[in-house]
Amino acid sequence: MYRRHFLSLVAGLVFAIALLGPGPGARAGSLEEKAQQYIEDLSGQAIKSLTAKGLTRDERIKRFRTMFKERFAVRGIGKWILGRYWKKATPKERKDYLKLFEDLMVISYVDRFATYAGEQLQTTKTLPNNKTTVTVYTEIAQPDAGPPVRVDWRVGVKGDILKVVDVVVEGTSMSSTLRSDFGSIIRREGGSIAGLIKALREKTTSLRKQL
Amino acid sequence: MLLAVVLSSCAQAPDSGDALATAEYREINDPAEPTMRAVFGFNRVLDSAVLKPVSKTYRDIAPETIRMGVHNFLRNLRSPVIFINDVLQGEIDRAGVTLARFLINTTVGILGINDQAAEMGLDYHNEDFGQTLAIWGIEEGPYLMLPVFGPSSPRDTIGLVVDFFLDPLNLMAFNTDRRWITLSRQSANAVDFRSRHYDEIEDLEKSSLDYYAAIRSLYRQRRKDEIRNGSIAPLDNGPEINMNTDFPVSAINEELSERP
Repeated sequence: MYRRHFLSLVAGLVFAIALLGPGPGARAGSLEEKAQQYIEDLSGQAIKSLTAKGLTRDERIKRFRTMFKERFAVRGIGKWILGRYWKKATPKERKDYLKLFEDLMVISYVDRFATYAGEQLQTTKTLPNNKTTVTVYTEIAQPDAGPPVRVDWRVGVKGDILKVVDVVVEGTSMSSTLRSDFGSIIRREGGSIAGLIKALREKTTSLRKQL
Repeated sequence: MLLAVVLSSCAQAPDSGDALATAEYREINDPAEPTMRAVFGFNRVLDSAVLKPVSKTYRDIAPETIRMGVHNFLRNLRSPVIFINDVLQGEIDRAGVTLARFLINTTVGILGINDQAAEMGLDYHNEDFGQTLAIWGIEEGPYLMLPVFGPSSPRDTIGLVVDFFLDPLNLMAFNTDRRWITLSRQSANAVDFRSRHYDEIEDLEKSSLDYYAAIRSLYRQRRKDEIRNGSIAPLDNGPEINMNTDFPVSAINEELSERP
């Protein structure tokens, strides 16, 4: 009995090390280089898939959703935004909330993302924050003659997997702003996640109608 | 009277027994929130009645080059205040840049309409007395929503007043009884700002659940960034990848099998 547990524990550990440790020959450069490459790839992907001509709106939304889910740590961000209220939410509430959060991000940013991560993205520097996040600092030229916009991409790292955990535009963090925004609704509803879910549902529904 | 209104409508402080709620209340630091929301409501009415339509018309009608010229001109007028605040913050190099910009742009740039200095590598930066107070170690204090002027704090409100009296053009207008100069300049600044950020403001209003709370957060983040002069922010505990939920095991297996 104990032996079987022990074996499965060992198997689990081996599996975990295989996941988190460096993959075979995958250490092509430092973490900073990887993160920078990741953001530049993301920019290239955004241009290629979102600015294609003759794209229907539905198709563009679909493409952006796929890209957003693939490239952003949607659940990690969603959980962080709720802060202490995450613990209070039931599994069903968490699931509904995360889905609606994803919807809101997709509908709100589908038109804007290509301009934020578009053609004129220039990496200025890349610096590690801690063991799990690296920031890629970029400047994005504006279509008019104005000065370029500073956009910092926080990239979360787990082993070989990279995902965007925050986008900071001119010093203003998307995640922090959402945390204040959603937090205010939760407090208004007396600490209820159900109240936030209701507000999110109403918001995404009305935004869809405007599309 | 005003004080009585503010005090009587203070946001309900949480029960002192609830440590998390108390910490949250302190972090939000908006003790007069109901009053501030009422002022915000007033500002929004003013915006949708006057500033927004004027800014939209201006953006639609005036060509880009004209709007850029107006923007540069208004920015150049601020140079003396920026210069004084550079000096008060001990930023001598930046003060030099501001002075050189002012001299070049006022002459070669034709009263500041063309930003020739930027083309020579002397980029614009802003400063104000609110930022100077922050550099001197003054806390920002609770959130304030000023009528007409918008989001602020006690520190930034003092800054606004001091900057007004540091400005040579304002003083000249004030002393010669030509207040219309100040008024037109402030209106022009408002239209310039609103038209330049038209889309972002629309987007935020549309996509936020609580517009007031989103603006409050953005204002404070922006001010911190301005005080740091855009240098790298100190590390905070931001979001991270959530291994359990961002990567169900099946997704990781897929990802691994795709690797050569």
